[in-house]
Amino acid sequence: MSYFVQLVVDGLATGSVYGALALAIVLVNRSTGMINFSQGALAVLSTFVAYAVVQAGAPLLLGLLVAVAFAVVLGAFVERVVVRRFEGGDANTAVVATIGLLVLVSGIAGAIWSYDPRPFPSLFPNATLGLGGVFVSVRSIGTTVVIVAVMVLLQLLFRFTKLGLAMRAVADNPSSAALSGLPVSRLLMIGWGIAAGLGAVAGVLVAPQLFISPTMLDFTLVYALAAAILGGLDSPLGAVVAGWFIGVVENLAGAYVDVIGNDLKIAVPFAAMIVILALRPQGLFGRRTVVRV
Amino acid sequence: MKSLQHPRRLSSAVALFGVCALLVTGCTRDTGTTGGGTEGGAAAASPGITDTTVSLGISSPLSGATAGPGTCSVAGLNSYLEAKNAAGGFAFGDGKTRQVTLTYLDDAYDPAKAVANFRQLVNQGMFAYVGALGTPTNAAVMPIANQQEVPQVLLMAGAGEFSADQAANPWTSGFVPTYSTEGAAFGKLLVDANQPITVATLAQNDDYGSGYLDGFTAAIEGSQVRVVDSATYEPTDTSVDGQVTQLAASGADVLLSAVSVTPLQVGVLTKAQSLGWKPRVFLPSNTSTPATVLQPGGAAAYPDVYTPAFAKTPASPAFANDPDVQEYTKAFEQYGTSITKTYTPHCAWSYAEGAVLGEAFATMEEPTRESFMTALRGISGFTAPLLLPGITIDTTKEDQAAVSSVNLVRYNGTGYEPVQGY
Repeated sequence: MSYFVQLVVDGLATGSVYGALALAIVLVNRSTGMINFSQGALAVLSTFVAYAVVQAGAPLLLGLLVAVAFAVVLGAFVERVVVRRFEGGDANTAVVATIGLLVLVSGIAGAIWSYDPRPFPSLFPNATLGLGGVFVSVRSIGTTVVIVAVMVLLQLLFRFTKLGLAMRAVADNPSSAALSGLPVSRLLMIGWGIAAGLGAVAGVLVAPQLFISPTMLDFTLVYALAAAILGGLDSPLGAVVAGWFIGVVENLAGAYVDVIGNDLKIAVPFAAMIVILALRPQGLFGRRTVVRV
Repeated sequence: MKSLQHPRRLSSAVALFGVCALLVTGCTRDTGTTGGGTEGGAAAASPGITDTTVSLGISSPLSGATAGPGTCSVAGLNSYLEAKNAAGGFAFGDGKTRQVTLTYLDDAYDPAKAVANFRQLVNQGMFAYVGALGTPTNAAVMPIANQQEVPQVLLMAGAGEFSADQAANPWTSGFVPTYSTEGAAFGKLLVDANQPITVATLAQNDDYGSGYLDGFTAAIEGSQVRVVDSATYEPTDTSVDGQVTQLAASGADVLLSAVSVTPLQVGVLTKAQSLGWKPRVFLPSNTSTPATVLQPGGAAAYPDVYTPAFAKTPASPAFANDPDVQEYTKAFEQYGTSITKTYTPHCAWSYAEGAVLGEAFATMEEPTRESFMTALRGISGFTAPLLLPGITIDTTKEDQAAVSSVNLVRYNGTGYEPVQGY
C-alpha cells in the first residue's frame, strides 16, 4: 500500500512541475486567446536572471523577485514588439511566431550562459518527510503549495476582478472589447507580462530538480501543453489537475502494468487525453464555446 | 479564394530554393579546390598529406546541449597536436617530419550536420577524420567514411558499434572504452567479492543503457550476483522518481544507474536516499563528476559510489605534481582554452588521443590512408599520457576500442580514490 501511495506522491510532485508551466500557458490563452510556445524559453531566460543574481551573492528570494520583475517587462516587451504584429491575423501564423521566439530566446540564453546544466539552489530545504512509510520531499511540497496558491490567485483574478473581466473580454472578442472602451493593447501587454512573471516563478521552482540550462523546459513544455489542453485551455484549475493526472497515471501505469513498463508509460496519459478530449472537446474544466448562428 | 495566390508563392519559393542551391553548390566547389596538395613524396600519396603537412578533421557538437564535451573533444586534441607542432612536428614512419593541421566544425549533435561536415572536410582535402564525439552523429558518418575509404578513427563515443565489427567497418575505430567495457568492469568487481549480492538496474532506453547492461550481465553470469529488479527511462524524461521508487522496493544491495543525463542522475541519488534506500551505487563515467553530480546528489550518504576511470583528472590535487598533467596544463592553456570554456573529462581523453595518433604516425610507412590504418590498428601496450597506471592503449583487439580496460574508483566525499574490492 505504501508503495502505491509513494508512486502517487511521486506522480503528484512531477505533475506539479508540468502544472506550473501549464498555468502560464493558460494565462496567456485566457488573456490573449493565443498559445505561446515560447513560454518555457521566456521562463528559462528569467530563471537565468535569478541565477545571475544568486551568483552575485544575493539571496535566492531576491533573485526570484528580480527574475519576476524582469519577466514581466520581458513578456510585455515581447508582446509589444513581436507578437502584436500577428494579433488579429491568422492564429497559426502567431503560433509559428512564438515557436520562432522559443528558438531565439533559447539561443540568447545559450549564448550568455552556455548549455551545460548547472545546479540551482532551492527555495526549500533539501529534506524529506516520512509519513507512514511514504516519503515526500519538502521541495515537492513547497512547489505544490506555491502552485496551488498561484492557481487560486489566478482563478480569483479572472473571476472576481475588473482587470480579469477586461482581460477575458479582450481574449474573447478584441474588437467588441475595444468598442466598449477597453484599452485592448495595454491589456494584452499586461496579460503577457503576468504570464511571463508566472513562468519565472515556475522556472525558479523547478530549476533545482531539472538543473538550469537553456533547454531545461523543452520537454516539460510538451507535458505542460498537454496538461493545459487536457484541463481546458481557459481553466487554471484544470491545468493543475491535468498536470497531476499526467504525472500520477504515467507512474502507476509504468509500475503496475507489465506490458507498458517504463518505456510506454508516458503514452498512457496521452492516450487517456485523446479519449477525454473526444468526449469533452473543451477539456476537463474548460468552458464550452457557444457560437450564435 | 485564398488558393488563387498559391501558384505565385510556390514559384517564388522554388526560385528561392534554386538560388540557395546554386549558392551552396558554388561555395562547395570554391572550397573544394583549396584542399589537399598531393605533390611530391611517394607515388600514390592519399589526399591531405604532403611531405611536410598532414590535415586532420573533426566534427563535434560545439554548440547546443552537448557543447561541453564536444568542445573539449576538440580542445584537448588540438592542445596535443599544436604543442607537438611547436616542438618541431610529428616524426612519421616514412622518415619525414610533418606538421599536423586540425580543422574542426560544429554539428550541434545533429547527425545530418555531421554528415554534411564530413563531406565538406573530405572536399577540403582531409586526410583522416579523428576523435569526433557523439554516437548518433558518428553512426551517420560511419557508412559514408567506409564507402569512401576515409579513416574515421579514435572516436569519442562509447557505443560498441564503432569497434564491434572491424570486417564490416575497416575504416572506423573507437577510442574511449565501450559502455559494455564499463559495465563489465563493475560486474567483475561484484563477482570477485564472492558472496550473494542483489542488484537493481536503471538504464537509459537506448544503446547507451543496453551497452552497460550487456557488459554487466555477461560479467556476472554464473556467479552469486543476481539482478532482482530493473527499470528504464527515456533521456527526455523530466524525472525518474517513479523508477527509483520501484527499484527501492526491491531493497537491492547495489544500484547500477546507467543514466547519462546529469540532472536525472542527481535525481536518482537524491531520491533513493530520501526513500531510505542506500545501496552501493555504480555510476557511468560521464555522469560521475563530483561537483555536478555527486555533491548536488548528496552521494556521501551511500556506503560506496563507484565509477570507471581510465585517465587522470588534471584538476585533482592528487595529480598536481604529475609530469603528464603539468605538460597537459601548459599545452591546454596555450592551445585549448580558446576552444572550450568548461572542463569535462573529454579534454584529457582527447589529449591522450593525440598521442595515440602520434604513435600511429611514427609507424606509418607510406603517406597513404591504408598505411595509416594498418599502423593505427597495430598499437599495443602503448602508455599514452594522462592514462591511469595499468591502462594502456591496445588497438589490436578485434571488438574493443583503443582503451579497452578501465579502473574502478570510489568516491571518498571529495574526489575519487582507487578501489580495494567490493
